[in-house]
Amino acid sequence: MFPTNHKTIFVLDHTPYFGISSDNPIDFDVSKSRGPGYVPLPPVCKSLWTCSVEAAVEYCRIVWDLFPEGKLIRFVVSDSAAHILNTWAVAQQNLTHILNGLCLVGPVRRGAGGDVVGLCAAIEALGEPSPAQSSRPTTERHFQNRGRIICITSARDDDSIRSLAEIALNALVQQNKKASLVQPSSSTEASANPESLVVHHCHLVIVNVTPEKAETRVNNQPLTEMGSGLMSVEVIVSRASALANLLGRLVLPHYKLAITTVTGIPMKEEQNASSSANYDVEIIHAAEAHAGLRAAQTAAEALESVVLRWWTPRGAEGGAGSCSGPLWRVTPADVASRPSACLVNFLLNGRSVTLEVPRKGGGRAASHVLAAQGGELWIGALGGRAPYEDPPALSEGVGGRVTDYRIKEFGALMQQNKLHPLRGAGANSRARARLQRHTTYWPLTISSTLIFNLGSIMEPLTRLVVQESLTDEEVDACRGVLLSLLGMESRHELPSAQLPSNMRGKWSGRREEQWRQVWGELEALVRAHAAAPAHRALLRTLLDCRAHNHAPDGESRATVIRATTDSPLSPVGAGNGASNSDVWAPRNVLETLLGAPRPPRRPDFAGRMAAGNRIATLYPHLQQDVEAQH
Amino acid sequence: MPTAILLDISLSMSRPIPIPDSTENITRLTLASAAINTFLDYLSVHAKLEYVALVTFSSMYEVAVPFTRDYESIKVKLPQLEEGDKTCIETALLGVNQLILGEWGYQTLVQTILITDGSCGAGAIGRNRIIQALPLPPSFPSKIHVLPIVSPHDSSLQHAMPLYQKIVDLAGNTANNSTGSINRGAIYCPDQLSVSGVVSTMNKLCEQQYQEFWCTLKCGKLETRVQLFPAPQPASHEGLAATYTISNQIHVIGFLQQQDLGTPIAISKHLIIPQAQSGNNTTNRENFGSKTPTKEGSSTEGTTTDEDMSDPSKVPNFCVLLHGALKVEGMAAIVQLGPDWWGTVSAWCEASRARRSCLLLGVLRPGASAAPWLGALDQLGPADDATTTEAFPVRSWRSYSGGGSGCAWARPHALLADVQKVLRHARKLPDKTQHLYKELNRLRRAAISLGFSELLTCVGSALERECASLPSSAPPECALQLAHAAAALRDPRTALDIKHTLQPLATNFTVTSMSH
Repeated sequence: MFPTNHKTIFVLDHTPYFGISSDNPIDFDVSKSRGPGYVPLPPVCKSLWTCSVEAAVEYCRIVWDLFPEGKLIRFVVSDSAAHILNTWAVAQQNLTHILNGLCLVGPVRRGAGGDVVGLCAAIEALGEPSPAQSSRPTTERHFQNRGRIICITSARDDDSIRSLAEIALNALVQQNKKASLVQPSSSTEASANPESLVVHHCHLVIVNVTPEKAETRVNNQPLTEMGSGLMSVEVIVSRASALANLLGRLVLPHYKLAITTVTGIPMKEEQNASSSANYDVEIIHAAEAHAGLRAAQTAAEALESVVLRWWTPRGAEGGAGSCSGPLWRVTPADVASRPSACLVNFLLNGRSVTLEVPRKGGGRAASHVLAAQGGELWIGALGGRAPYEDPPALSEGVGGRVTDYRIKEFGALMQQNKLHPLRGAGANSRARARLQRHTTYWPLTISSTLIFNLGSIMEPLTRLVVQESLTDEEVDACRGVLLSLLGMESRHELPSAQLPSNMRGKWSGRREEQWRQVWGELEALVRAHAAAPAHRALLRTLLDCRAHNHAPDGESRATVIRATTDSPLSPVGAGNGASNSDVWAPRNVLETLLGAPRPPRRPDFAGRMAAGNRIATLYPHLQQDVEAQH
Repeated sequence: MPTAILLDISLSMSRPIPIPDSTENITRLTLASAAINTFLDYLSVHAKLEYVALVTFSSMYEVAVPFTRDYESIKVKLPQLEEGDKTCIETALLGVNQLILGEWGYQTLVQTILITDGSCGAGAIGRNRIIQALPLPPSFPSKIHVLPIVSPHDSSLQHAMPLYQKIVDLAGNTANNSTGSINRGAIYCPDQLSVSGVVSTMNKLCEQQYQEFWCTLKCGKLETRVQLFPAPQPASHEGLAATYTISNQIHVIGFLQQQDLGTPIAISKHLIIPQAQSGNNTTNRENFGSKTPTKEGSSTEGTTTDEDMSDPSKVPNFCVLLHGALKVEGMAAIVQLGPDWWGTVSAWCEASRARRSCLLLGVLRPGASAAPWLGALDQLGPADDATTTEAFPVRSWRSYSGGGSGCAWARPHALLADVQKVLRHARKLPDKTQHLYKELNRLRRAAISLGFSELLTCVGSALERECASLPSSAPPECALQLAHAAAALRDPRTALDIKHTLQPLATNFTVTSMSH
C-alpha cells in the first residue's frame, strides 16, 4: 500500500567538516582572450556542504517533477541540533520551501555536533504519519509503514559508519517500542491522530562524502540487513564532486525510473541560424515506459541504456492521443542545459514528437511519443494493436440508419453543459442536475418533434424553460410565445408553414393535428419542469391555452387573454368552462398523424367537476386517512 | 481481450475414448475440438469482437490460425490438424508469448486457454524441471486457463495439477502492472470424459471469464443500454486504496472541448456499443405527451411505423446522437464511472478508416487527479453566469522545473552560464543596470540557499575587475554601479541575508546628463 519510496528523509551533515572545500575547482575565466594585464580570477571550489545540498535538491527535483503527489521527501539538517526543514504536509513538499529553509540554515558554522542527532530525528520523522497515512480509517491501519533515509555525511572509517548504523537501529527499535505502546491505548479513544506509527522497515543509505584528494578509510558496503529485517543499510563512498551524479543515479532504482537518451534532436545554432546541429537530451521517466522495448530485447540488450531517435514531426501529429496506453511524466536529467531547455520549450509549445528505435538494418518503427499536457511533459509508448480496433460501424448498429438526429441541437446542449474547473464540493452533482433539467423533454430526432423545429417562434420559451428558476419577466416572455401561438392558430395558420422549406414536406398532417401536436409537446416540455412555482404558473397558462385549443373560435378569446395575463396564482381552469379540455388524455403522435378519430369530448376528471371553480384536490381521502390514524 | 487457444496435438491426444454403446471413434482431440467450437459459438453470440488465435503444439508449436474475428476459419482448421509427438508445454508458452507480444504489444491483457491431455509428460523431477523452465510471467498482462481433457480420476491429472496451478499462478504475476492487478486464470477440469462433459466445462469457463459487460449510459434523462468492449477489468494497484469496479450506470457529467481534455492517463479503453432496447418501445409510444415524456433514449415517435420497430437500426438511439454531436463539436464527455472514478467518452476513429468512427470510453485512473490539467475531477462543474471561472489547463501550484526556475548547479556548465550572464550584463552598463541587479539577486538567492558564499566573493572580485578594466570613455555611472555591486556582494552585514535585495546605486548622473 505504502511503498518504501512513499517517505524519504535526507539527513544532511552540517558539521564544521562540511565547510571545507571539495577541492574541485571551477574556473570562470573561460574567455582568456581579454588582452594583457588581465588578472585571471582564482577558480572557485564548492564546499562539501554546497555539494551535498545541491545533490539532494536535484534528487528532490526529479522526484517531485515526476510524482506531484504521493512521494514525500523531508530534510533534516544536522549539526549540534537537528533542524527539520519541512513536514510531511503537502504544502511543504516543494523545492521553494526547501530552499527557503536552507537559506535560514545558512553555511556551515563552527561548533560541535555530529550526525547522530539528525539521524535520530529522521527516524522519529519516519514514525510520523503522512497525510495519506493518517487519512486512512483506523480500521485499515494495518499497512506497512516503510521509508528511506539518505544520510550524507563523512566518517573517519568503517567502524564509525557501523556505529552510526547501530545507533540508527537502536533509535528505530526504541521508537517502535514507544509507538506500539501508545497505539493500543489510542485505538480506543483518540486514535484519529496517533502520535506515531511503527516503522516496519527502513532503508538507510549512508553516503560518505570526501573532498577530491582526501584519503578515506570508508569502503562501499552492499545492502545488508540489520535487526532481523527492520533496517537495511547500504554505504556508498563518493567524492563531493561526483555526489550529484551519484544521487542522480540512485534516484532511478528508488522510484523505479529509467533514462532515455533522445538522440539526433536538430537545433539551430545561435551563431549560425541557417544550419542545425544534432543534440542529445537525457530524459527521466517511469521505468515502465520501457517495458515494451525491454520485452522484445534479449537479456544482454536489456542492460544497455535506451537510446531513441528523434523522428522529426511532419505537420500535425496525433500527439499523445495516438498512444493507447498509459502516459508517464517526464523530466530532463540535466535541467539547466541548453538542449534540454530547447526540447522542453518545443514540447511545452504544444507540439509532440515521435521517437523511434534506431535500427541498423533500416526500416523505422515508432516506439514512443513525447508531448506536453497542462504544462507538464509526458511520454507514452506506442505499438501493438488494440483489442477495440476495427470497430463495427455505428451505421450498422442500433439506431445507425436514422438520419435525422438533432445533432446540431445536441451540440448546443453540450456547449451549454460545458465543464469548468470550479472550487469546492458538489460541482459534479450540480453539473448532473443541470443536464437532467436540460434533457427532461428532449426528442432525439427532428421528425419526432415539431416545437423544436419552429425556431424563432418558440424562442425564448424553449431556451428559458430549462432554467432552474424563472423570473417574472421570463415567465411573461414565455407567455408571450404562447399567446402568439394562440394567435397563429386562431388565424388558421399551419405551424409547419414556419418550418424551414426543406422540412415542410414532412408535416403534411391536418392543421388541427399539427396544432394538437404543438400543444401536446409544449405541455410535455413545460410539465417536465413544473417543479418550481414559476414553471407551474407557466404550465397553468399553457393548459389554459391548450384547453382553448379546441374550443370554438372567438368564443373564449377574452378569457384566454385574461388567463395568460393573470397572476401566477390564478386558479387552474378558472372561468374556462373546463369541460372541453383534453389535457389529461395523452395521445401519441403516431395516432395523431394517422388522424385516428377520438371522441370530441370526454368526461372530465371527477374531482374537478366536484370542485367547481376552485382548485381540484387530488386524493382528498389520503389526508383523511392520515388524520384518521392519529 | 484477445484470446490465444493453445491446443495440445501430441500423440496422447489421439487416444480413443472408450464409449460403451457406440462405434464412433472419439479421441481426446475430438473432445478438444468440441470444446473449442463451444467456445467460438459462445463468443459469436456474446463477444463477437474478440480476437482469437489457434496455436497447436506438441514438441514444436505452430500458429495454426493467427488472431482473427473470423471464427469460422478456426472451426474449419480444427479437423485438419495433424497429430504431433509429445507434449512440451514450456516451448508452447514461449511461442504464444512471442505471438502475443508481436501482435498486441505489452499493454493489452491477453487470455490463453491451454487445452491439453492432462499429463505433463514427465515424472516428478521432469515436472519440476518444466516448472523451472516456464517462460512466465510474460511481460504483458495475461491470464491462462487450463482445460485438461482427462477424466477427473486419472492419476496423471493428480500428477500434472501442480504444473497447471503453477502456470495459472505465474501468468497472473505479470511484471507489467500498469493496468493494475488482474484476476488470475483457473483450471477447468471436466467432470466426465465425454463430449457433454467437456462442453459444459467450456461453457463454465466462458461464463466466468468472458462475461460481456452491460451498463446504462445516462445523460440527464436521456439514456441507453450499451455494451462495453472489451469488458473492463476492476482497477487496483499499489497506489490505490481499494479495488474499483465500474458501476452499471455511467453518468455523463458534462462536456469539454477535445483540446482542453487532451489525453488523460487512461488505464483502458473500451468501445461503447449501443444495444437494441427490447420491450421499451411499446411503453414509449404510449408515453408521448404524458407526464413522463421520453424517458428512454429511444423515443420512437414520428414517422416510424411498426415494420421499422423490428429493425433496430431504424430506432433512434442516444449513442448515435451523442457520437455525431461529439464529432461535430470536437468535444468529449466526462462520465462518472463510480465513486471517485471518472472516464471520458469521445468519438474515435482509426486513422486508416476515417469513415468508421465509434464511441470510445477511456477509463481513467481512479481518483480525482487523473488529468491534472483539468484540476480535480470532482470539482468540474457548470459555469454559472455570474462567476468567472479558471480556464483550462489548470496550472498546478507546483511549478514544473522544466520551465527553468532553479539553480541546478550540480553540473558546472550551468553555474558557468549563470555567472557569464552576470558578467555580460556588467559589460553593458549603464543600459543593463536593471538586468545586472536582477541577475545578481537571482544568483545571490541561489548561492545563499546552497551555502555557496565562495561564489559571491568570486563574483564580487570579477565585478571589481570589470570596473578596473573599463575604458576611459565609459560613463562614470558604470564604475560606480560596479563598485557598488561588488561591495554589496561582500558586505558582511547583508551578504548572506536572504531577505536583503541588492538595489542599484541611486545616482544623479543620468539626470544631469539628460539636462544638457
